[in-house]
Amino acid sequence: MDGIGIQTLDRDALPISPGELVTSLVLFVLLAHAFAVRPGLFVDQLVGGLVYGLILVLVALGLSIILGLLGVVNFAHGAFFMMGAYLTFQVLTVWGLPFWATLFVVPVVVGLVGIVIERGVLQFVYDEDPLIGLLATFGIALMIDEATRAIWGGSPLSVTTPQILDSSIGIGVTTIARMRLFSVLVSVVVIVAVYLLIERTDFGLSVRAGVLDREMAEFVGVNIPLRFVVMFFIGAAIAGLGGVLRGAELGMDLSMGNQFIILAFVVVVVGGVGSLFGSVVSGILIGEATFLTPLVLRTLSETTNVAALNVSGIGGLMPFLVMIVVLLVRPRGLFGQEGFME
Amino acid sequence: MSGDASQTESTQRLRDALADGRLEQWRVPLGLLALVVFLRPVIGHEFLLNYPPFANTILVWMLFAASFNVLLGYTGLLSFGHGMFLGFGAYGAAIGLTRFDLPFTVSAVIGLAVAAVVAYLIGRIIAQRGEIYFAMLTLAFAKAAHFIANQNYGGLTGGSTGIVGVLPSWIETERGVKYVAAGGFQFDWYYLLGAVFVLAALAIWQIARSPFGRSLVAVRENEELARAVGIDDKRYKIWSFTFSGVFAALAGVLYAINNQGSSLSTLTVETSGDIILMTVLGGANYFFGPLAGVFVWLFSEEFLIEFETLVLPLAEYPLVRIELGGLLSYWQFFLGLLFVISVLVAPREGLWGLFRSGIGGLYDRVRGVRE
Amino acid sequence: MSDTATTARSADVVLETEGLTKQFGGLTALEHVDLAVERGELHAIIGPNGAGKTTLFNTITGALDPTAGTVWFDGEDVTEMAQEKRPHRGLARSFQSNQLFADLSVLENVRIVVQTARSGRFGLDLLGNGRAKYRDAAFEYLERVGLDGERTTLAKNLSHGDQRRLGIAISLATDPSVLLLDEPTSGMGPTETQETADMIDELQQDLDLTVLLIEHDMDIVLSMSDRITVLNQGEVLATDSPGAIQENEDVQNAYLGGMREEL
Repeated sequence: MDGIGIQTLDRDALPISPGELVTSLVLFVLLAHAFAVRPGLFVDQLVGGLVYGLILVLVALGLSIILGLLGVVNFAHGAFFMMGAYLTFQVLTVWGLPFWATLFVVPVVVGLVGIVIERGVLQFVYDEDPLIGLLATFGIALMIDEATRAIWGGSPLSVTTPQILDSSIGIGVTTIARMRLFSVLVSVVVIVAVYLLIERTDFGLSVRAGVLDREMAEFVGVNIPLRFVVMFFIGAAIAGLGGVLRGAELGMDLSMGNQFIILAFVVVVVGGVGSLFGSVVSGILIGEATFLTPLVLRTLSETTNVAALNVSGIGGLMPFLVMIVVLLVRPRGLFGQEGFME
Repeated sequence: MSGDASQTESTQRLRDALADGRLEQWRVPLGLLALVVFLRPVIGHEFLLNYPPFANTILVWMLFAASFNVLLGYTGLLSFGHGMFLGFGAYGAAIGLTRFDLPFTVSAVIGLAVAAVVAYLIGRIIAQRGEIYFAMLTLAFAKAAHFIANQNYGGLTGGSTGIVGVLPSWIETERGVKYVAAGGFQFDWYYLLGAVFVLAALAIWQIARSPFGRSLVAVRENEELARAVGIDDKRYKIWSFTFSGVFAALAGVLYAINNQGSSLSTLTVETSGDIILMTVLGGANYFFGPLAGVFVWLFSEEFLIEFETLVLPLAEYPLVRIELGGLLSYWQFFLGLLFVISVLVAPREGLWGLFRSGIGGLYDRVRGVRE
Repeated sequence: MSDTATTARSADVVLETEGLTKQFGGLTALEHVDLAVERGELHAIIGPNGAGKTTLFNTITGALDPTAGTVWFDGEDVTEMAQEKRPHRGLARSFQSNQLFADLSVLENVRIVVQTARSGRFGLDLLGNGRAKYRDAAFEYLERVGLDGERTTLAKNLSHGDQRRLGIAISLATDPSVLLLDEPTSGMGPTETQETADMIDELQQDLDLTVLLIEHDMDIVLSMSDRITVLNQGEVLATDSPGAIQENEDVQNAYLGGMREEL
């Protein structure tokens, strides 16, 4: 079992074949065409896709870390994300704390809930059939959903963001909301921090050793259970942070947990299980595909006068289409490794 | 001494008969018949739900659960998107009937065929991957199917409202109760539904006990060993998924008659999740486990709803009502808790396993007293 | 390369590896292993822990893809052949750890394998009672390993030694011409070990088997084997008769010496 981040960037994994070259060229022409026809909308969608993609990455990172470390697909990970969004409402609107506080309070709370779940349930399923962990976390997700409904009710909620993030910045063809730029900034900082933690610190090294050979690492004196707890905390906390960013921009509802766990898993599969770098690339790729494809098809349909090209709702289908294509062309995902979780 | 020997021999014969499934040969078909005969009077009893047609809904879900258990119980594969196939059956029947004016049976067969082809193709793409992949990718495909139906491409699926008010010409309704009217005869829809249910459940049971089904069990028990002794586990998984999908679609066809159309809810993650919860709680290890799970689940849910509506006339006491409403949401929470615990303690046993070991323990005690 | 190999392969050689190499990441588990197993012989593989013995079995049976090299079976290159096809050609193995269908009865464990051997890798046989088919044939294999009295016991409830015997019955039920046995006596006491050794001997005579054996018990290896191959750190140190292996200096230094130190 090769671990997470062991091979964060493998250039050999992506050789360019003639077919891929042609595909890239066609894609480039389509994107350029969309940009030429509607530059403002194009930039809007580009930024929207980036924000969406980075939030997907935040959820997928935790999912991927927990999967790589513990061999468990944590179905409750989407519920962590949702919990982050609802806690934003709690901290901001109910308790009246400033927005900046949510960025620290919420991830810590979600991370602590994560620890409770890891110690209370997941530690018992590590040596079991992977299905057991999946079923158990599915039950936990159901419990969190119901608890959320009981506490905050079934209707969608939203919060007001601080004034400084409320306005927009003009960049010629369009304007970009500051909240979006802020989301991008926070996401990038967190992703880089996680990368550095796993790749550049002794702690990360010992965690990776634990993934490769748990017995051996324990033998040389690494406290593996403690490291698992810490990584679980981190995974849950960054999903919670993703929930804060999403909730602050677009509000929160009970379906977001289910929706994002599916998408996050799609991101992990497309990126290749076991590769953090793959998750980052595929998250952004899927985010952009979701936001840009409708625009590309719409502009194309306007130029060619073929109305059928403008498929309604194609954006929401893109993650699944990308996944099916990737699975057919590269079954292990873009940066996947041999034998991992297979 | 010789009496001892003959007793061990007869015990061994009984064990043999249990082990090679000779007893099941009668137990399962008779059990299914008894189920259909007794379900409706029990459900309809005034002390219980007092609503006989609810037995129809239970049978549809039981067939859905039995189809799902071909995959989970007999092959050891978890699908998080099995509602998709229920939807193919329901939408297939409803679309054929309303959009193309096809006879009901033709539409139903088209629905089953679509389910079979889609299941086979999805199986081809994902069966060679690990079980975690299988679970999550079925979820992704189901989500895509839900999305497409919701978009209502070409006006086929009716978007979020689904297709409503659809019934085959040979079904008549009278004050909410459905009757089959064919060739001058008229009888309650429950009997046709019950007959289809018994036949389909028997077919599923036969698949499970056939040499094919035993190979599925080998794959479930130990995939690595199965491959090492020459079992092509991928193909067995693909075909298990296909059969499971087709029978789920058949449940969907029955659903379309029962609910007078198809609703988008068949394709939701919640439906796919419910069938997992029912199957595991009932006991995936046993043929009757998932059926028991469906019964307990739907019965309690309906019973609790009944409970709340009974209280509604007391709306002038708002405190009482709020408490009961709260109880309902907590019910789902505690259901999740019960599910987590049962998965951790005995993931394959469920209520039916508990019931059986209870019976077994009783039998042993009685025998112990006799000896 | 393959030309020389073709000429080197004699009719007597039923299983052969040529330059077989397996790497896990940076770790080399097998390094250019050449092995020739002759028809009808009992060929033992010995070597210290981590020498690559089980990896060798896994690459021969197709559970692992080799990084380089070729596996020949019955004159055919089977390197790329799917794992589940090989038992149907007559190449079978038992596992080191007890790999069984744990929740099934002893008889059913073997019966499923007989069914697979007789009806192929895949079949849509949907009629009849699966558990009744091939019962008698399966029962014969149980009698052969002395488990006929336990036929209705669940495999997971068997004693350790009986589980090993069931493992052998499972491998036999694939109807092999070459049988790979991975430490069939591990965890057994002296009496049980000797019984198992006698059983393997008997099976080999009765069923005309070629046996490739991984075994730690040196007494068993020296008394049973026709030839012995010594692996060390993924490389073949020597292949020879038991007597010659005992005399071999390299082997004494690398392996037997190491064993003495361990003791």
